[in-house]
Amino acid sequence: MIDVLFIGLSLGSILLLVALGLAITYGAMGVINMAHGEMVMIGAYTTVMSAIWLGIGLIPSILLAFIVTALLGWLIERIVVKRLYGRLLDTLLATWGVAILIQQAVRLEFGLSFFGIHVEGLGPGLQNVTVPDFLQGAFSIGAVEINTYRTFIILVTAVLTLLTWYLMYRTPIGTQVRAIIRNPSMAAACGIDVDRVNALTFAYGSGLAGVAGVMMSGFKTVFPDMGTSMVVDGFMVVVMGGVGSLLGSVASAGILGEINGVVASVTNDILARAVVFGVVIMVIVLKPQGLFSFKGR
Amino acid sequence: MIAKPIITKRRLDYLAYAVFIAGILLAPYFFDEFWLNRFAKYLVYGMLGIAIALSWGYAGILNLGQGLFFGIGAYMLAMSLKLASYTSLQQGSDTPVPDFMLWNAEPGALTDLCCINKGSFLWIPFQAQWFGVAMGIVLPVVVAAIVGTIIFRKRVSGVFVSIITLALVLLVRLVVIDAQPVTNGFNGLTDLGWFTVAGFEFDPYMVETYYLVAISLSVLLVGVRLLTETRAGLILQAIRDSDSRARYLGFDVPVYQIFFFSVSAAIAGFAGMLYVIVAEFASPTFMDLTFSITMVVWAAVGGRASLLGACIGAILINTIEATVSETEAFVEAWKAIIGLIFVLVVVFLPRGLAGFASDVADWALVRLGLRSREDVEAAADGVQPAE
Amino acid sequence: MATAALTIDNIGVEFSGFRAVDGVSMIVDEGELRVLIGANGAGKTTLMDLISGKTESTSGHVYLYEDEITNKSEHAIARAGVGRKFQIPSVFKDLTVRRNLEVASCPSPSVFANLGFGFPRPSRDKVDATLELVGLAEEEGLPAAILSHGQTQWLELGMLMVQDPKILLLDEPTAGMTQAETQKTARLINELRGRHTILVVEHDMTFVREIAERITVMHLGQVLAEGSIAQIETDEKVRRAYLGSHGIVS
Repeated sequence: MIDVLFIGLSLGSILLLVALGLAITYGAMGVINMAHGEMVMIGAYTTVMSAIWLGIGLIPSILLAFIVTALLGWLIERIVVKRLYGRLLDTLLATWGVAILIQQAVRLEFGLSFFGIHVEGLGPGLQNVTVPDFLQGAFSIGAVEINTYRTFIILVTAVLTLLTWYLMYRTPIGTQVRAIIRNPSMAAACGIDVDRVNALTFAYGSGLAGVAGVMMSGFKTVFPDMGTSMVVDGFMVVVMGGVGSLLGSVASAGILGEINGVVASVTNDILARAVVFGVVIMVIVLKPQGLFSFKGR
Repeated sequence: MIAKPIITKRRLDYLAYAVFIAGILLAPYFFDEFWLNRFAKYLVYGMLGIAIALSWGYAGILNLGQGLFFGIGAYMLAMSLKLASYTSLQQGSDTPVPDFMLWNAEPGALTDLCCINKGSFLWIPFQAQWFGVAMGIVLPVVVAAIVGTIIFRKRVSGVFVSIITLALVLLVRLVVIDAQPVTNGFNGLTDLGWFTVAGFEFDPYMVETYYLVAISLSVLLVGVRLLTETRAGLILQAIRDSDSRARYLGFDVPVYQIFFFSVSAAIAGFAGMLYVIVAEFASPTFMDLTFSITMVVWAAVGGRASLLGACIGAILINTIEATVSETEAFVEAWKAIIGLIFVLVVVFLPRGLAGFASDVADWALVRLGLRSREDVEAAADGVQPAE
Repeated sequence: MATAALTIDNIGVEFSGFRAVDGVSMIVDEGELRVLIGANGAGKTTLMDLISGKTESTSGHVYLYEDEITNKSEHAIARAGVGRKFQIPSVFKDLTVRRNLEVASCPSPSVFANLGFGFPRPSRDKVDATLELVGLAEEEGLPAAILSHGQTQWLELGMLMVQDPKILLLDEPTAGMTQAETQKTARLINELRGRHTILVVEHDMTFVREIAERITVMHLGQVLAEGSIAQIETDEKVRRAYLGSHGIVS
C-alpha cells in the first residue's frame, strides 16, 4: 500500500512540477499558455543538448534550462501574449500556434534539415538522457523499495514550490504580481510597471516549465511532441485547484496523483487517467471556482 | 443615406454562398477520382468548421472537444460497415463477427456477436446499417444534451466549458482505447464494407460518393445559415453577448445553449459518418486533443463568426497541406507555417479570412458609392471578436 | 382603492450572518411610480435582486398582483411581468439597436416556438414605437456597442418597454449620465408614468424631485420611512440616519 501511495505522490509531484508554471501564467496573468508543454520539451532538449555538446550532466543543466526557457517565455510574452491580455480564449489559440512552431523548430532542426545539416540531439527522433549514478536505482525504507530518481523529483518539486511561494508572498515583486492579479489597472495606477512585471512573471513561469523538462528527461524519452499531453494535465491541476491559488494547485496535484496511482494499481494506467479526467470534470462542474479560491469579485 | 442599392452586403454574402456551393458541386469536372476522394474528406472537415462556428461564433461556446461528437458519429457507422465487410461475413457463423474479436477471443468462445466476449452483444443491432446511421446522429445529440444540461444549468461558462469539453473528449478516448475487445482499441475499426443505400454501394473513389458529401455539405451550410437567421438564432446571439440580460428578458438561457450545442454535436456526428464512408476507417485519433484543437484552428483562420468562412478555412488549409505534402520535409514545414499563420490570425485578424473579405467588400462598396463610409465605420466599430 | 401591483411581505436575506435586507414590506400600487432611496449599503439593489430572482430570499414573500413570485428563477419572474434594468447597462452589443429590441419583442420564450423567421406585425409595431419613444430611430441599424452611455441606458429601457412588463425595476437609471441625458431620462420616465408601474432606485436628488411622487427610504436593510417628498424631507428619522452627510437634500 505504501508503495502505491509513493507512486501517487511521485505522479502528483510531476503534475505539480508542470502545473507550477501554469499556476503562475494562468492564475496570475490570465493567460492560457498552450505552449507551456513545449517549454517542458525545450527544457528536456536542453538537457539532451548540453550532455552532447557541452558534456555537462543533468544537475547543472537545470540552471541552463531555466535560463533558456525563461528567455523563450519572455520573448513569447513580448511578441505574442502581450497583445492578447484580456482575451483569455485567444491566448489559448495563439499559444497553440506558438506551440506548433516550437515543436516544428525542434523537429526541423530550426530549418537546417532543409539544407541537409543535421544537428545531433535535435530532429524528429527520440532522445535519451543519462541520469547521474547517485540518482539511479532504489533505496529501501523498511520493506518498501523507493525509487531514488522519483524521490529526487519530489524534492525538487518541493523546493521549487517553496521558492515560488516565497517569491509570490514574501518579496516586493510577488506583491506586485498579486496586485496585478486582483486588478491590473489599479496596480498600474499605483505605479507598478505592469508590462515589465507581466513579462518577468511569464518568463519565470516558463523557466519553471524548463526545469520540469529537465526532470522529465531523466525518466521519459524526449521527443518533439512530448509536451502536448502535459499541458492538458497541468491545466486540469490548476483549474481544479482554483485559479490563482498556489496551495490549491499543490493540493489538487496531490489528489490527482494519488487517484491516478491508486486506480492504476487496481486497474490499468489508461483507466486511471480516464478517472482523473472524470474527477476534474466533476470538480469543475460542482465547484467552478476550484477547490481553493480567493474571493474574487 | 443611399436608397436601396442593388449590391448590398447581404446579397454579396448570399452570392459567396452560391459561388461556394457551385464550386464544390462542379469540382468533379476538374479533378480525378483520387483527388475527389481527398477533397471529399476536406469537405467533411468543412462541416466541422460549420459546427465550430455555430457553437463558437454564434453561441459563444468554445467547444474544445468537438472531436468527441465526430468520433461517436464515426464509430457508430463504422460498426455497421465493419459488420458488412467481407471478412466479418466470412467468419463461419450465422452472424457476422469482426475479425479483431476473433483474434482475441477466449479459446472455446462461441463465435457469435451475442457472446464472443463480454461486450460484443452491443454490436448486435449494428447489423442493420440504418441503426448505425441513426445512432451516428442520435448518440452525439443525446450526449451533447446531457453534457449541455449539466454544464449550462450549472452556469459553467467561458474557458471552463472549453476545459470540460476537452477533458471529456480525452476521457472518452481513453475509455474507447481501454475497451479493446469491443472497439479494437488503438487500432480503431478498419477494413470496412461500403455504405449501401437501396442496393447502391458508395465506393469511396466514385464520383457519387463525392456528390453525397458535397450535397450534404451544401444542404447543411444553407440549413445552418437559415437556422441562425430564425428568431431562435437571433436570441442565441443575444445570449452570447449578455446571458444575464437575456435571462432578465424572460429567456430560459440554458435551453437555448443546450439546443444549439446539440445541433452542433449532430453536425459533427453527421460529419463523422461521412468521413467513415469516404476514408474507410474510424480511429481513436478522432478524439485526440490535437484534432479537436485543429478544428478550432481551421474555424479561426476562416472566421470564427462566419459559417461559410469557417467551412472554407477548413477546406483551404487541408487542400494546401495536401498539395505541399508531396515531399516529407514540406509537410513538417507546412505545419510550422500553419502555426505561424494561426498566431498571426489570432493576434491581428481575429475575425479571420471572412472578416478580411468582409472588410474588402465594404471598401469596394464604398468605392463604388453603394454604401456610405460612415455606415461602414460605424458597423466596424461595433464588431468585436467573440470571447 | 388602487390595486396592488407589487406586494413585498417581510422579505429578508442573510449572507453568512449579515442581513443585507431585513424584513422589508411595501406595496406598490398599479400605475404608481415609487422611488427607493437610501445610503450606499442600505439594501436597495439587494431588494431589487430579491424581487427579480437574482438573489434567493431566506424569508418573506413577493407577490406580483395575485401571483407569488418568491424565489422563482429569473426568466420565470421576467415572464411573469417583472422588467429589470441594471445599474451598469447591459445590452446585446454585437446586435443592432433594432435587433436588440426585436429580441425583447419575441412573443414566446421557447426555443422551438422561435424556429421561424421574422416577427409578427404587433411586435414590429411595438419595436418601431419604442425606437421613437427612446429616441433611437436614427440609430436602429447601428450595433449597440457603439452607442453612447446614455443611449445604451435608453436602449435597455426600450427593451423592457417592448415587453410591456407589469412592473419596471430601474436601478439607478441616470448613473453616469450627463445633465442633459439625465433630463431626457426623467422625461422618458415621466412619459411612462401611469402606463407602467415603476420602482426606481436613485441617488440623484434633483432627478428624484423631478419624477417622484412617493418615496421609500431604506436604511441598514430596513424601511426607514415612506411618504411624499415633502414628508420625507422633514422626517426626523430620516434626518437622524443621514446626520453628518448634510441630509439627503443635496
